[in-house]
Amino acid sequence: QDGSVTGIVTDSDGVPLPGASVVVKGTSTGTQTDFDGNFAINADSNATLIFSYVGFATQEIPVNAQSSINVSLMADAAALDEVVVLGYATQTRGDLTGAVSSVDISEATKAPIVNAAEALEGRVSGVSVVNNAQPGGAPTVRIRGFGTSNSNNPLYIIDGIQTDDPSILNSINPADIDQMNVLKDGAAAIYGARASNGVVIITTKGGGYYMDKPRVSLEMYTGFSRAQNLPDLLNPQQFGDVIWESLQNDGVPIEHPQFGNGPTPVVPSQLQGVPASVTVRPEGTKWLEELYRTAVTSNISATIQNGTESGKYLLSMGYLNRQGIQLGTGFKRGATRLNSEFKISDRITVGQHLNISFSNTKGDGTSRVQGAMIINPLIPVYDDDGEFAGTYLAGAQLGNSRNPVAQTLRSADDYRKSLRVFGDVYAQLQILDGLSFKTSIGGDIQAYNDRRFQPLDPENAESRASAQLDEEDFDRYEWVWNNTLNYNKSFGEHSINALVGIEALSFRRRGKDIRRTDFLFETPDFYLLSTGTGTPIVDDGYDEQSSLFSIFGTANYSYADKYLLTATVRRDKSSRFRGDNQSDIFPSFSAGWVVSNEDFFPQDALVSRLKLYGSWGQLGNQSLPSDNPTVNISELGETFANYSFDGGNSIRTGAFLSQVGNPDLRWETSESTNIGVEFGLFDNKLSLNAEYFDIVTKDLISRDNSLISTTAIDAEAPLVNLGSFKNTGMDLSIGYQNTTKGGFSYGIQANISHYKNEVTELISDFQIGWPDFRGGAVTRTAVGQPLSSFFGRVVEGIFATEAEVSAHADQGFENPADGIGRFKYTDVNGDGSINDDDRTFIGSPHPDFTYGVNFNFAYKGFDLSAFFAGSQGNDIYNYTKIFTDMPSFSNTQRSVRVLDSWRPDNLDATIPRLSFAVPNNETQPNSFFVEDGSFMRLKNLQIGYTLPDSIVNKLGLDTLRFYVQGSNLFTITGYDGIDPELGPRDNGNDNLTIGVDNQQYPLAAIYTLGLNLNF
Amino acid sequence: LADEALANETGVDLLLTGAYSALDGIRNNQGAPDWAVSGDNWWFDVISDDAHKGSTDGDQPDLFALEIFDWATANPYIFGKWNGLYAGVNRANAVISLINSSEEGDLTAKLAEARFLRGHFNFELQKIYGNPAYISDENYAATEFNQPNPGPIWEQIEADFQFAIDNLPASQDDDGRPDSWTAKAFLGKAHLFQADWAPALALLKDVIDNGPYALNTEFVDNFNAAGENGPESVFAIQFAADDGQSFNGNRGGTLNFPGGGPFNPETCCGFYQPTQDLANAYKTDGSGLPLLDTFNQSDIANDAGVDTNDTAYDADTKTYDPSLDPFVTEQGPLDPRLDYTVGRRKIDYNGFGAHPGKIWIRATFGDISGPYLPKKNVYQAGELGNNQGTGAWGEQRSGINYNIMRFADVLLMAAEAAVETNDLVLALDYVNRVRNRAKNMTYVQARGAEDEVIEGTPAADYQIEPYASFASQDFARKAVRFERRLELGMEGHRLFDLRRWGVALETINTYAENEARTIPNFGDKFRAYEPKHDLLPLPLNAIDLSGGILNQNDGF
Repeated sequence: QDGSVTGIVTDSDGVPLPGASVVVKGTSTGTQTDFDGNFAINADSNATLIFSYVGFATQEIPVNAQSSINVSLMADAAALDEVVVLGYATQTRGDLTGAVSSVDISEATKAPIVNAAEALEGRVSGVSVVNNAQPGGAPTVRIRGFGTSNSNNPLYIIDGIQTDDPSILNSINPADIDQMNVLKDGAAAIYGARASNGVVIITTKGGGYYMDKPRVSLEMYTGFSRAQNLPDLLNPQQFGDVIWESLQNDGVPIEHPQFGNGPTPVVPSQLQGVPASVTVRPEGTKWLEELYRTAVTSNISATIQNGTESGKYLLSMGYLNRQGIQLGTGFKRGATRLNSEFKISDRITVGQHLNISFSNTKGDGTSRVQGAMIINPLIPVYDDDGEFAGTYLAGAQLGNSRNPVAQTLRSADDYRKSLRVFGDVYAQLQILDGLSFKTSIGGDIQAYNDRRFQPLDPENAESRASAQLDEEDFDRYEWVWNNTLNYNKSFGEHSINALVGIEALSFRRRGKDIRRTDFLFETPDFYLLSTGTGTPIVDDGYDEQSSLFSIFGTANYSYADKYLLTATVRRDKSSRFRGDNQSDIFPSFSAGWVVSNEDFFPQDALVSRLKLYGSWGQLGNQSLPSDNPTVNISELGETFANYSFDGGNSIRTGAFLSQVGNPDLRWETSESTNIGVEFGLFDNKLSLNAEYFDIVTKDLISRDNSLISTTAIDAEAPLVNLGSFKNTGMDLSIGYQNTTKGGFSYGIQANISHYKNEVTELISDFQIGWPDFRGGAVTRTAVGQPLSSFFGRVVEGIFATEAEVSAHADQGFENPADGIGRFKYTDVNGDGSINDDDRTFIGSPHPDFTYGVNFNFAYKGFDLSAFFAGSQGNDIYNYTKIFTDMPSFSNTQRSVRVLDSWRPDNLDATIPRLSFAVPNNETQPNSFFVEDGSFMRLKNLQIGYTLPDSIVNKLGLDTLRFYVQGSNLFTITGYDGIDPELGPRDNGNDNLTIGVDNQQYPLAAIYTLGLNLNF
Repeated sequence: LADEALANETGVDLLLTGAYSALDGIRNNQGAPDWAVSGDNWWFDVISDDAHKGSTDGDQPDLFALEIFDWATANPYIFGKWNGLYAGVNRANAVISLINSSEEGDLTAKLAEARFLRGHFNFELQKIYGNPAYISDENYAATEFNQPNPGPIWEQIEADFQFAIDNLPASQDDDGRPDSWTAKAFLGKAHLFQADWAPALALLKDVIDNGPYALNTEFVDNFNAAGENGPESVFAIQFAADDGQSFNGNRGGTLNFPGGGPFNPETCCGFYQPTQDLANAYKTDGSGLPLLDTFNQSDIANDAGVDTNDTAYDADTKTYDPSLDPFVTEQGPLDPRLDYTVGRRKIDYNGFGAHPGKIWIRATFGDISGPYLPKKNVYQAGELGNNQGTGAWGEQRSGINYNIMRFADVLLMAAEAAVETNDLVLALDYVNRVRNRAKNMTYVQARGAEDEVIEGTPAADYQIEPYASFASQDFARKAVRFERRLELGMEGHRLFDLRRWGVALETINTYAENEARTIPNFGDKFRAYEPKHDLLPLPLNAIDLSGGILNQNDGF
């Protein structure tokens, strides 16, 4: 019997939801709510109504002969029955048995982020994200510590496209993201060989079926960013005083071309002895302030979504322009997306995702911070004629640093452009009730080119003789085809969801890098390889290929929503390995028990939900810095292998071995165990989730530098299966959300993560990190220690007297007086003399824990959110101090810390006695450079105001919100360097060298004003 | 290129060319600057009594530390040189291993070339580090590079040179390839370094008597483009200043041109300055013979601490009128080779005009570099064109060959072996051949008021005569050793000579005392040569990476 049902649809706070869709299940009858959330629909008394609204969990409610139904929809992220996309399949959140975390995207995208990975930072337990402050740089994402010694990048799945290239995240408009889920444990086994670093699954919005009209949302912000926490450097008088004191201590005549030869240094008004007229600023040049600027940032994105009963789509466009704080740098991106899906018949659904983005990164990608920190403060940016000033000639003793402002401005016409198109088309066929087949073909195509021009720089003591142009370009093609068969059926209390599939993936990248010198014109119009006159040099030409073929299956079984079981298996075959090592099988099992669904569980207890779950799985890692690591490769080498046998200009071509292959290379395998518990209290207003994990990585793939040692060829060390290590840890997250009767809503979400990394097995006693720091490697990886521990001498203090020098172990001073004011090292091996054998482990870059806390408040139209993140207990090797605190170069700028150097009247000094030389191995790795890197940072603070409906509706809009926002407003840290949040070395490909601060790009505080508008 | 693609004669040629290319030390993944790996061994002169680092003290502080004997095992020069030489050893091993596993034609001659090169690289390792690890071609093929260093590897070096003697042709079409005579001379040198005097003499005498070499008429032809691969060249690194950025020029010697000197565009970087001690060695007595014992009791006239004269030098036009310069050059008798070795004020500088003093010196008076400029490694005027290679920042990459061994060296080595076997007559003959060439060569000419060359007027009172006789073995030994310095100064040999004669400690510490007369700060900054400095330490990275397989040299 037909009847009319009416009601009101609201969100969980009771705010009416206009335009929500109401459909009678199994029919095409549907309607939408009006501006006040009211609906009226004709439905059988035994029908079921489906209520849906973008961003909220869909609800089904049986009519049960009611004439009035009021529905409160839950925001997606909070819903237990929210559908979580896990790659090939989906699962409802309540049924998960693995370690899967989701980002609250709407909260995360409140900050003006460029790159989607920034949304993960501090918001997901067990995931650490380090922002790359350079415009257009990709952040570094690490899931549950360091699982490997080479690339630790997680696998990114974006609507079916797979890649471990984090730069793909630069191509997505964060506003398009619907869900962002992170698989941290055995649950990732469905991605087998590529999953050991975790999997980040991003799905984009796609509109909704049964919408009444197109919905448009518009987001805009504009603002500015400024460098933060710039270090204090010497002013010219202090700088001269430091030179005077150094000369005095060295016992050499006290004179200097700039500061004269008097009893005290005299700051010149003009640079002395240089071939230009250059006025010295009395207060000196504050180079860091000259190098950085207040940079404008702006963003606009618009999204349209709509859907009928047979089709839906989303179309979005976005444009971002972020100037870099370093002069002459910036990042611009235009992106557009079209997602659509159509129901061709009751059984067939087809759809597609397409993302096209174009980005342009300005500048040569070099951070000039180190140059700006060490350039002499007497040198101004420009000379009196408006030309760049510099070091001119060695005799002027102005140091060796090139004018960093000149460098960055001269490269302002350099660019890196990338056009990237990726997406997929898919079709789904309902074969039988519960049985469906899906096929999907995805592609990812990138065209990249860059230009780097180096003009003449006559103001430098060592100036370029000819201008040089470098151009590089590459094309990248990746396709993936997968076919899956899915069976999803419930029998009474039993519910089965199973899937089998096959997948093929192919990757290819081809490119070249060409260089030419001798350009007659230095204007960008002539920055073409054809306008140079030197012989062109092909620096590089490459063609990389790899492929992967896989079969996989997974089955989920649940009984009465109480007992949950999942089993997954995947077999991968990779082109990167040989013979029996090509393929491997990765299984995982997990189980959950929803205790609160048991009959015996008290229904109205404090604890409203309790779930225990655990998983075990094996995961692989095949992401390597080489596509064919198993074979030897020799190269023809214009730069390194050619030779002229007659000493004249008939050069003959030669070759050298550039890669040593290891035919026995195997997968890296991680065995991951996860145990978790989930609590919901006070009607799930308070949720708590705790997980313990243990990940053992075996057959760790790494370059074995000990195998190749230093007595080898000029190839890099071969990749070998180096050993094993273990990460154990805890992830804890807690959330509380409540709304008072007065309409005040508040919440807190916090997460804290801890891991302990330990090397359990190595094929050699130890491995050293990157050896090319001044003074050699600063990190060492050894059994029983965490990966990449700092290794060096231990500084006990500074010698004050000859007697103290004589009484201590022999440090090699010619006579005891030479030791006064110098570092005193611990005699670690107790043999009475200090040498290389007295080095030991002096710190660990691994934190005790990392955390993130988000607060949000809302009252009436106002909302406020504040997000803090931090790290506790990690050490940083402040390598930059080699330049700012030590006389590694003469006449270069220093930190004000050197004012606290050792003098007879300053015995508790932190810096050794000043000198022009570096005696006593003081810049070689030692504990002076190791600092506590703990910090807490206010990452985001935002205040918004949403206009009341009464006003908005008159404007013909649905919602209108304004906000002001600030990112990185303050940091609490004891760390001396520019930023304790360190980026990785070598794009994260070198995990044997972590936690070393070298040329960190300073963090920018960003202030923006924005609006969100929907109609 | 995969291994299979190289398994043929073309592949052998490619890899062999790659092995020659490593003679200059430049390699992939170098891990040290070009100048640290340099094949011409210039910086070993800096740690001897022949040269200062040059430039300002703070420029290349790692080399400054080496010069003042503040040696750290992590010094990148020590590491770079080690690495570069092993790259050479293993590029040679690549060829040897490939030929040994190949069934193609007769590649014995190529194999001999490769073994000669491996012998050379190992010889360099041996003389620098004393206890290098030996990497065989079998080790290479099996990727077993982590080998111990139980002691000297002379046997393996000799075996490689002997194989080369037996299998190389007596002459080669390409000047840059060794022939059997080259190999004999190198084997002779290897014996000489072990004080195996008789076999050394036999080999070297054979090369002198029957080999294809002769002294150039002009001493300077050993150091200019015109004289490349002349009769005196036994084995040279073939440098070429190819177009654009030169990869085959002398990249390791790139710093060693006057800072702000006579070239256009201005050169860099004022390194590798000869010492006062070296200049003093060229003083002769009234009979044209060197002052073997007393040469360094007084200094030849020098302009240390004296600025370029503003009247004589016009900074705007960069012209110099030596006649207006009140500085008085050394008036006493001098060996004429001095002014082909050491750039002195008011004396012609390789044809670019007279050296105007301080304005061409990059270092300040407070630095320990002194007033002199290097000459042998620097272009001659008029040869800039095809021989002036450049790099990315415009640095010089000279296309002029460096002679690893030249015939004068062979004669003096033979003379040394003859002295030690007490054949003083033969020794006298060899030494006098070298001295007579110097006597009969064209001397550096004086410069006039317009800085023009005054033909027929030598730039100084050059007096050089052959020895009449060697009165005793001791005297002969002293004379031969001294002659090596005069003839081969600033060519990268001096330190290794001092070491093998066992006199480095005494010589260098004495030199340091005397040098302080000219360079006041030198004494304060120079520490001391200690017995441990007789060998370079093994690089710290090598020790660390070997995981305890390699043993450090004594004292470090």
